[in-house]
Amino acid sequence: MERIETLNNGNRMSTQELLQLIQSKIDAGCTEFEINACGQHNIGGSSWAKDRNKDLKFLLRNPGQRVGAMGMKGTSILVEGSVPADTGWLNSGAEIIVKGDSGDTTAHCAASGEIYIGGRVGTRSGALMKHDPKFKIPEFWVLKNTGSFSFEFMGGGIAIVCGYDCDGLKSVLGERSCGGMVGGTIYVRGKVENIATCVEISTLDANDIEFLRSGMKRFLEKIGRAELYNELTNFKEWHKIQTVAAAKKERMSIAEFREKEWIAGGIFGDFITDDYAVYELAGTGDARCRFPEWNKELCIGCDICVKNCPQKAISENYVVDDEKCIGCGICSALCPRQAWKMVENNKEITK
Amino acid sequence: MAAVKVNELHKEDLPWIIEYDESKCIQCGKCTAVCSFGAISPCVEMRKKSGNINEKNQYEKVLVVKQNVGFENHCVGCGMCANVCPNGAIKAVRNLDDRYAIRYRAEKGESLKRGGRSNLNTEGRTLDKIKIGRISQMTDPSLDPVRHTFEIRAPFGRVLSADKLGFDVSGNQIIQTKSLPPNRWIYPIIFGDMSIGAISSRMWEAIAIATAYLNEKMGIPIRMGTGEGGIPVNLLKSRYLKYMILQIASGHFGWNRIIETMPEMVEDPAGILIKIGQGAKPGDGGLLMANKVSQYVQEIRGVPKADLMSPPTHQGLYSIEESVQKMFLSMNAAFNFRVPVAIKVAASVTSVSVYNNLLRDPYNIVGGFFIDGFAGGTGAAHEISLNHTGHPITSKVRDCYLAAVHQGRQGEIPLFAGGGLGQTGSFAADAFKLICLGANGVFTGRLLLQIAGCCGNDTEKCNACSTGNCPAGLTSQKACLTKRLDIDKVAENLVNFIVATDMELKKLMGPVGCSTLPVGRSDALITVDRHIAQRLDIQYSI
Repeated sequence: MERIETLNNGNRMSTQELLQLIQSKIDAGCTEFEINACGQHNIGGSSWAKDRNKDLKFLLRNPGQRVGAMGMKGTSILVEGSVPADTGWLNSGAEIIVKGDSGDTTAHCAASGEIYIGGRVGTRSGALMKHDPKFKIPEFWVLKNTGSFSFEFMGGGIAIVCGYDCDGLKSVLGERSCGGMVGGTIYVRGKVENIATCVEISTLDANDIEFLRSGMKRFLEKIGRAELYNELTNFKEWHKIQTVAAAKKERMSIAEFREKEWIAGGIFGDFITDDYAVYELAGTGDARCRFPEWNKELCIGCDICVKNCPQKAISENYVVDDEKCIGCGICSALCPRQAWKMVENNKEITK
Repeated sequence: MAAVKVNELHKEDLPWIIEYDESKCIQCGKCTAVCSFGAISPCVEMRKKSGNINEKNQYEKVLVVKQNVGFENHCVGCGMCANVCPNGAIKAVRNLDDRYAIRYRAEKGESLKRGGRSNLNTEGRTLDKIKIGRISQMTDPSLDPVRHTFEIRAPFGRVLSADKLGFDVSGNQIIQTKSLPPNRWIYPIIFGDMSIGAISSRMWEAIAIATAYLNEKMGIPIRMGTGEGGIPVNLLKSRYLKYMILQIASGHFGWNRIIETMPEMVEDPAGILIKIGQGAKPGDGGLLMANKVSQYVQEIRGVPKADLMSPPTHQGLYSIEESVQKMFLSMNAAFNFRVPVAIKVAASVTSVSVYNNLLRDPYNIVGGFFIDGFAGGTGAAHEISLNHTGHPITSKVRDCYLAAVHQGRQGEIPLFAGGGLGQTGSFAADAFKLICLGANGVFTGRLLLQIAGCCGNDTEKCNACSTGNCPAGLTSQKACLTKRLDIDKVAENLVNFIVATDMELKKLMGPVGCSTLPVGRSDALITVDRHIAQRLDIQYSI
């Protein structure tokens, strides 16, 4: 055990001095540290023993930003009180325990290891967490709540927000969390509001409950709040947040909007009647641009029109079936006596 | 066989030639049936039989598709025949040697009329030569559209400077001593000004439905300019009136019904737009050809079936001051000074003078200045106007904005810009660049038709909006064509397009680091063209 005081006779050790001191002690074989810090950054994270079988332990008081940032497997860090921003940034395997609150972007980009926070965490916490399947899945436990915009762009891993001591909060995830989230799971107890549209909130299944039950025991022991176990394991109060496969939210169809909410009978209802049916191109009946008209006087009964009509729309008596005729004009073109005349369909929509 | 003479219209004169492959044709008749112009017909051709020339009956009759040659029924290249042909046996091909325009004028003694936009794009588009070059990189964070709240809003209505607001302190309270001019914060895109009659009943209603849907289901407070072709009473009486900007142009069509319905209105309209002119045909009034003046258009406009040519100016107006006095005051009074009133003019070398005059606005009743550029669209205009008159929008917006800046009065009368926006693909980029140059918002009409399925373009394809034969049912009042249009699909496409545009606007605001519209932030723009840089006072970059 190595005790380090960072404030001596009013002289504060710089971050660089402290981190280099820690590394030299590790190189000399030391693996356990108790550090009374004075806001120095990055403590415990990027320190490592050449003998990778040697685990490192840190007990910290009053550290600065980025406690355990870039932490490695085999490192465990315990912070007695609260910490500022970026705790566990880029955590790659360390166990980081903070008994109090942790600032903004806690667990940002954590890809492995465990982060246990015994209080609240700030804005954008858990953002960009990810999981490389060759390594242990990252876990990020928070006793109380997160700030806004947390879990943005999360790609993997598990986050657990226990919602303890959050009475009166509108949402235990703040405002608009989970924007751009594409993977991973967030378990949350309590109210969640105004969350990004790319995720959905669902109820827990048996596996989720099993995970939380065992994990909760461990978490509460780590932060020294084992007495809360029963209160936090009423799983009816929990939900799970994951990305939706199809990000597109269902919205009311225009047809439904037009039928249910739009002006009854349409804007032009007092002038015209429109059923809004859609004609196909080269359609029959009223969809035709022009109609054939037969002149009995000129017809010599040669039947060329009847035989050549592509729609078989002309009967033996030269009656046109309007439901078949598309108004192509072939009858008119072929008739040797001009008995068929094509007439423009200039009908307007009327009442 | 009929004799052929030089001084007739020939197939080779036409702008489009039908290419027909008889070997692929199955004579199903769909191409001739679908052609709303009657530009092609089935026809019997006499062919010489191959083989023995001594045979008695040397000829045979063959059924083919023939291109018609005529001023009223020539092919406009819409491409519907190719769309319906099951075998790819027919298509319209541009005739590079066409002589149609000359023949038409020589034959008819009339100016050529058509719809669409200018087909003469001799200079290239200025907006395409401008890029958004001021990117937040370490100076300040780029904003993330997913996380940030973007206030994409434009003021519509007169904005007073702080010293004119008319507030006073009474005891511990701030009291209002003067009434404020009406002002609405709306989406910076306005669906622009296509009149009933100019477009089909379904197209007009589809835009109205999309407007209502965007407001009520998507939270996008977009407004629709009605154009001046009358407004159906059903709409005037509905709660959706609040999304409509009513237009009064020189024809004053349909205002009797609007006035008559006022006591029954449950909502005020979003605004009133006084149309002085439009970019597609500046100095010219509205034009609606008789074949589009259907029964209901006649009723709603109070006119017979005739070519409707609105006067080029409001008959009672002779000066800017008078227009402020008469039109602005009357239109403000119409809704008891609750509804903002704006004015729309064609961009012109004189735009700045007009804007400067309006800025004096002693009555605080001028609620917006809409400038419509050269490349704006129309349902009908003389081609000479479309191709040769007008002023590009970009420099004019800039000039007006800077004129206001020089008086310290920018933003007091909101500027809206339109005319050819989205012409080369990106509406959001065009809108954003104009906003950076000083516009508060933009408006668009022609683009809506393209979203809805228009088969024309700005290089002389189709452009037959004025004929009443629109093959897509967008600008026709014939039932057989109007009913080709799927009103729900059109409204849905408009909604989707605006939702996409909204995201794209954020994708431009984010990198610049703005969560509100960067009106006049020309420092965000760069150009590789020195003349553009100099003229618009933006950074020249190479």
